[in-house]
Amino acid sequence: MDTPRDNLLRLLHRQGYDTVPLEFALCPHLEEVYQAYEHSDLPYNEYFQMPWKRIADLRPDNDDRTRFAHYHAAAGLDAAGEIDEWGVGHRATPTSMHMTQMFCPLRDADSEEEIQAYPLPTYSAAQNPGLSAEVEALKQRGVSPVGNMQCTIWETAWYIRGMENLMMDIMSEDPMAEILLDRVTEMSLSRAKLYAQADVDILFLGDDIGMQQTIMMSEEMYTTWIKPRLKKIIGAAKAVKPDLLVFYHSCGYIEPFIPHLIEVGVDVLNPIQPECMDVEKIFREYGDRLSFHGTIGTQSVMPFGTPEEVRANVKRNLDLAGDKGGLFVAPTHLLEPEVPWENIRAYVEACQNYTR
Amino acid sequence: MSLTILQEISAQLQRGNARAVRELVQQAIDAGVPVECILNDGLLGGMSVVGERFKRTEIFVPEVLVAARAMNQGAALLKPLLASSDVKSCGKVCIGTVRGDLHDIGKNLVKMMMEGKGLEVVDLGTDVEPETYVRAAVEQDCRIICCSALLTTTMSVMAEVVAKVRQAGIHDRVKVMIGGAPVTETFCAQIGADRYTPDATTAADAAVEICRTLAETG
Repeated sequence: MDTPRDNLLRLLHRQGYDTVPLEFALCPHLEEVYQAYEHSDLPYNEYFQMPWKRIADLRPDNDDRTRFAHYHAAAGLDAAGEIDEWGVGHRATPTSMHMTQMFCPLRDADSEEEIQAYPLPTYSAAQNPGLSAEVEALKQRGVSPVGNMQCTIWETAWYIRGMENLMMDIMSEDPMAEILLDRVTEMSLSRAKLYAQADVDILFLGDDIGMQQTIMMSEEMYTTWIKPRLKKIIGAAKAVKPDLLVFYHSCGYIEPFIPHLIEVGVDVLNPIQPECMDVEKIFREYGDRLSFHGTIGTQSVMPFGTPEEVRANVKRNLDLAGDKGGLFVAPTHLLEPEVPWENIRAYVEACQNYTR
Repeated sequence: MSLTILQEISAQLQRGNARAVRELVQQAIDAGVPVECILNDGLLGGMSVVGERFKRTEIFVPEVLVAARAMNQGAALLKPLLASSDVKSCGKVCIGTVRGDLHDIGKNLVKMMMEGKGLEVVDLGTDVEPETYVRAAVEQDCRIICCSALLTTTMSVMAEVVAKVRQAGIHDRVKVMIGGAPVTETFCAQIGADRYTPDATTAADAAVEICRTLAETG
C-alpha cells in the first residue's frame, strides 16, 4: 500500500494520487488552540498525518555568534539570543507576537573589503553526522523528508545588507553587491549539497521576489543577478541527486518569473497567493511543467471566509489540478492568530472528503 | 538655459544618477534659477515621472529607490535656500506601520512617493500605537495619518486609529489613509477610514488631493 510519502511524491510528479495530503503551519497561539480543540498531545503535523517533515536545520561549522556582536554593538543585541547563524539580528517587541525587528549587520558597510571579511558560516558533513539517518528514519515511517533552505540567495543577502542598500548597490553596479550575492550563493550551495547527499526527497528553496500586485524587481535585474545563482545551486544539488524535488517559495505576484524558475529546475512553486495571482491561469499556463503547493489564501478566505468558503476553495483548486494531481493544496502561509479553528477544520475536512 | 538644466535634472533623477543631480542642482543655483523652479520642475517633476512609471509597472522598487536617493541629495542642497524663501510644502502627513507590525518596505515606498510630490512626511516608524499617530498629527499639525499593515492580524489596529481620531475631535481636519498587502477598499469602508489606495503612487496623489481639499475648505 502507498505510504503518505509515496502518495505525495506521485502527486508532486503529476502522476495521480489516492488521498489529498494535508499541510499547514500554525503560529504559537494557534498551536494552543489546536491542543484545546483537538485534545491531543501529538504534534499537530503528526495528528493530522502530514506527509512530509522538515529535517533538523544544518549545524554550521562555527556557531559562535559573538563573532557578529560588533556589527550590532549600537543596538546592544545579545549574541546568544538575538543573533541568528548568519549574523542577522532579531529583537522581539512587546506587541510583535512571533515576529521580530530585524537588524542588518552590513547596513553601514561601504567597502568591498567589509563585505569580503563578513564571517558567513560554513557547513560540512562532519558537523552534521546524523543527517542521513534522520532522512532514512522518516522514509521508513512513510514520511517525506524535506531540507528547508528558504531564504536562499536574495533574501539572505538583503537581511545581511538591508534591502534598500542591496537594491541600490545593484542599481549602481557596485562590486559590493556581486561579492555579497556570490558569497551567499556559495554558502547556500554547500547547504543544498549536504541535503542532497543526505537523500532528502524535497529541497525547499525560496526568496521573496514578488510584491502584492507587481514583481519586486525588473525581469532584467532578476535574470542578471539572481537567476544564474539559483541555477547554480539547483544544478549542484540535482547533480548529487537527480530525482530531488525542488520547491521554491515567493510571496506575492511573480508571474513573469515563473518561466525562469522552471528553466533553472524548480519543480514545485509555493504559495500561489490567490490574492496576487489568478490560480486558474497559472495552472493552465504552467500546470504541465510545474506543480504547486498552497493556493488557499491566508490574506482572505482562511482568516475572513466562512468554513463553506474554505471548503469550496479547496474543492475548486483540486478540481482545477485534475486527476494527475500537481497540487499540494494548503494555506498559502503560516496561519496567524485570527484564523478561526473552524476554518482550519474545514480545510482538513475538504481535503479528507474530496471526491472528483 | 534654465529650462534645459531643469529638464536635465529631471532626466538624471529618473535614471537615479545622484551625483549628476547634485552637480546640476548646484549649477542651477549658481546660475540664479529660482529655488522653487529647481524643486518643482527639476526634482519633483522627475520624481513624478518615476511615480507614474512605477504605477504602470515599467519600473520597480530598485529604480524608485535610486531616484529617491537622487532627489534627496538634490533637495539637501536646496534646503537652506528654501528655508529663507516663501516656498511652502503642499501638506504634512504622518505615516507609520500599525502596532504589532514591523514591516516597513511598503510604508517607506509611500513615504518616498509622498516626498516626491512635495509633501512633508513625519515618519513614525513601525509598531505604532494608535495614540501615537493622533498625538503626532496634533502636535505636528499634520493633515493626514497614513497607516500601513502587512498582516491580517494587525490591520484591525487601523480601526482603532480611526476611532482615536474621532474621539480626539480632529476628524474634520485630519484624514486617515490606509494601505498594505491585505487591506482593501471594502475594509476601508468597514472601519470608516477616509481613503484606501492600492499602491504608493496613488497614495501620494490621494494625499496631495486631500491636503488641497482641506486647505480650500479649512
